Amino acid sequence: MSNSTVALGRRAFLARLGLLGAVGAGGLLSRGALAAPAANAQTDALPGLVALLRPVLAELARDTLNGLSVFALPGPDPYSAAQGTPSDTPGAMEARTTDFLIEALDNFVPFPDQLARPAGAALATGLADTGIELPGTDLLPGELATLDKALAALLENDATLPLSFPISGLLNLLATQVNPLAVNGPFLSPFARLNYAEKARAFELLEGPDSDLVALLDVQFPEPLKASVSGLLKFVGGALIEFASFGSYTEYAVFDRGTRQLTGRPVGWQLTGYQPDGPVEGWDDFIGYYQGRTEVHD
Amino acid sequence: MRDVIVIGAGGGGPVVAKELAARGLDVLVLEAGPRHARPREQWTSFENDANNPLSGYFRLGPTDRSKPAWFREWSQNSFVWQLSGVGGTTQHFYGNYPRAYPGVFNDYDKPDRAEYDINHRFPFSYGELVPYFEWVEATAPVMTAAMGTKEAVFFRGCETLGLPVQTTKTTHGPSYRPQENAILQPGGNAGRTTDTNLLTYPNATGCTFCGYCFQGCMRPVGAPRNQFAKRSTDNSYVPMALTADVWAPGGRPVELITDAYVTRIHTERRAGALRASGVTWRDNVSGAEHREDAKVVVMAGGCTENPRLWFNSGLPNPNDWVGRGYTDHFFDWVIGSFDDYTGNPKGVGSSARLDFPPYGGLENVGLPPALNAFATTLSDSGIRGQYANGRGPSGPWDGPAGRVMGPELKELVAGGLDRLLCVLVITDDDVEADNRVVTSALPADENGPIPKVTFRHRSRTARTTRNREFMAGKAAQLLRGAGAKKVFRIDWAPLILHVQSSMRMGESEQNSVLDPNAESRAVKGLFIADNSALANGLGGPNPTLTTQALATRTAEKIFQLHFGGDPWVRAESPVVSTDPRISVRLGELGL
Repeated sequence: MSNSTVALGRRAFLARLGLLGAVGAGGLLSRGALAAPAANAQTDALPGLVALLRPVLAELARDTLNGLSVFALPGPDPYSAAQGTPSDTPGAMEARTTDFLIEALDNFVPFPDQLARPAGAALATGLADTGIELPGTDLLPGELATLDKALAALLENDATLPLSFPISGLLNLLATQVNPLAVNGPFLSPFARLNYAEKARAFELLEGPDSDLVALLDVQFPEPLKASVSGLLKFVGGALIEFASFGSYTEYAVFDRGTRQLTGRPVGWQLTGYQPDGPVEGWDDFIGYYQGRTEVHD
Repeated sequence: MRDVIVIGAGGGGPVVAKELAARGLDVLVLEAGPRHARPREQWTSFENDANNPLSGYFRLGPTDRSKPAWFREWSQNSFVWQLSGVGGTTQHFYGNYPRAYPGVFNDYDKPDRAEYDINHRFPFSYGELVPYFEWVEATAPVMTAAMGTKEAVFFRGCETLGLPVQTTKTTHGPSYRPQENAILQPGGNAGRTTDTNLLTYPNATGCTFCGYCFQGCMRPVGAPRNQFAKRSTDNSYVPMALTADVWAPGGRPVELITDAYVTRIHTERRAGALRASGVTWRDNVSGAEHREDAKVVVMAGGCTENPRLWFNSGLPNPNDWVGRGYTDHFFDWVIGSFDDYTGNPKGVGSSARLDFPPYGGLENVGLPPALNAFATTLSDSGIRGQYANGRGPSGPWDGPAGRVMGPELKELVAGGLDRLLCVLVITDDDVEADNRVVTSALPADENGPIPKVTFRHRSRTARTTRNREFMAGKAAQLLRGAGAKKVFRIDWAPLILHVQSSMRMGESEQNSVLDPNAESRAVKGLFIADNSALANGLGGPNPTLTTQALATRTAEKIFQLHFGGDPWVRAESPVVSTDPRISVRLGELGL
């Protein structure tokens, strides 16, 4: 890819993914790392850059999932405030829902790499030209091309792509579809910058039967995987909400795997009054048999 | 060469294994998942540790929880709640053992006959199954459920609906009642104290009202495995199968191997007929493959895994009905918010029900906080107040149906979980050919091509849709009658939890996999003995009792047809699974 082909579409795409926001002044990746001429990148600087990029993508995913977590359970944190739903009582950040999601997505979702990698690549290659006008960024064309190449190299070569990356990429693309201004602002990720109604709108797009995004992704896959990808995305749309909600109310944050005991009172228990004195062996709630009947016969 | 190999130690397989072990046959049971022989060391009662579908001890996966779960393709927003391990999904069930409605059998001739799914009835009469119902009810054993506060609240609502109380085992019409459940009822201190020191066996017997049914039953503390309150098959039929020599004259204990994933059923042609001859299984830990032959093979891996194994074994599928006709009771979820204490989520997960043949039924359900959050966010109707995803039905509930999530859920539970009462809406759903299991195009796992579960939930039959709307309305009326100040309908996306009929038996060769003996039409000596063998969704009643009754009958058929034996259910008396001889032998075996 030459400098000239890193067109507005690629710039827009990288911005929508949240990647441009993570680079440059105040970002996670210095512009200096992108200074190598793109033509030489393949041979010298690129492997190093790919290594630098990996933690950037991880942080971007974490920030995006922070935005998802507080969507499921808002609390007294900046993400909930930015979402427009501040709360005095603990929420998903206190319940460590983001860690719950990342651990699940990256280690336990038995999603085949053979599918995850093309899905990530499809996000990175197929969705550039969306016609949405975005605020500009100040990266020079050469820097942009290097970044783009590094991303492509990472997607193509990493043996196992953490699933949290394509998931967060998906949410950020949807976020910028809902609100193009979300490419800039506080936090790292476009999704985390949305308000509650905008996040809901993003999920509406994902869940909707005629999702353009879903259709676009299908194009990236040959038969018979075509319909599978769009079907899975509809599943993912629901599962992200359900799993983030489930995780927020579990004991995850205070469970000691070694002792199999709790180290504190789970947020979900605090919020719901569940088991006020901790785990039990039983309750004194037996009040008899309905109408005194203890057995029935034909 | 074994007499019988049973594939799967869930709700159905151990029934066949136990019955044939009692006849002295050589039975091998292969379970793909964990043994869970020491629940006090392997389980907690925490929701993520237990129920996380990816990493919990109740998931679909191998024993080693550092390894990923087994991936299954669902091509829609849905949740197929499969469990591996001894006990299968009975590990997390609530022990409800209602009988199937008489209207789903082929001799039903009441005036509402045509209101049922008459094209997919059982290929015999209700009366044919009654002795088997009674046999299982005595074995489990099944009892009338005790009442806690959440049941009292539910009944208060039922009493406003103008329906009678059912006081028979058989459901003859719309009515409500305590569950008939496979739970040992509270005895001694159980249900009467929260003092842990007083809740040890034998000072406490039966259900302690802990509220942890969905996380697995290992109470009362100190009880023998076959005296734990909930009669999941790991506590009932499996202990009996492993100890058949002590309670059955001439009985022979089964051999149980876990982490043994069956990847292939073998066949051979004998006297012009295709016959099952054995299986190959793969050890989850070592990856080694083993092959063993048997005179009879019984599939009991569940509604999703049986079709997969059938396809992966290359078995014939002449009428294309393998995997089709999957029923799920097209569940829905309705929540009432009360000013007063409701007792949620204490006691058995659900101890009260309302039946409304031929529409379906309702159950009260108590859920701990995270499962409650899951239940309120699994919807096909978007997010309340934000978007409806093209649905969002309105009715006698408040506002449009949809997810209660985020700030609204936080507000709902802020009054306390024990101010909520949840009602599960159970639909009498039609057998539909397009709700099915096929082989996924996604990459295979270590056990071969994976199954894909398809439910066309937005185009169910008119009768199914009508039934669901009717029962959702009844749920809302019930909750208002009980005193709910606010009622929410979630409009669940498919939660595939009651699973039935994906390898169905039927009257017609055109739309069934099994003959009326539960033997496959295409392969002789190959039987199916779990929920997938059921002819239909039973009208709505929870499937376990009917599956186990049918599996008992299937065991008799196997013994008669392939081993020249005589039937026993009408001639003998069953042994109850809590029998102390079983407890003693379990102790000797270190179980």
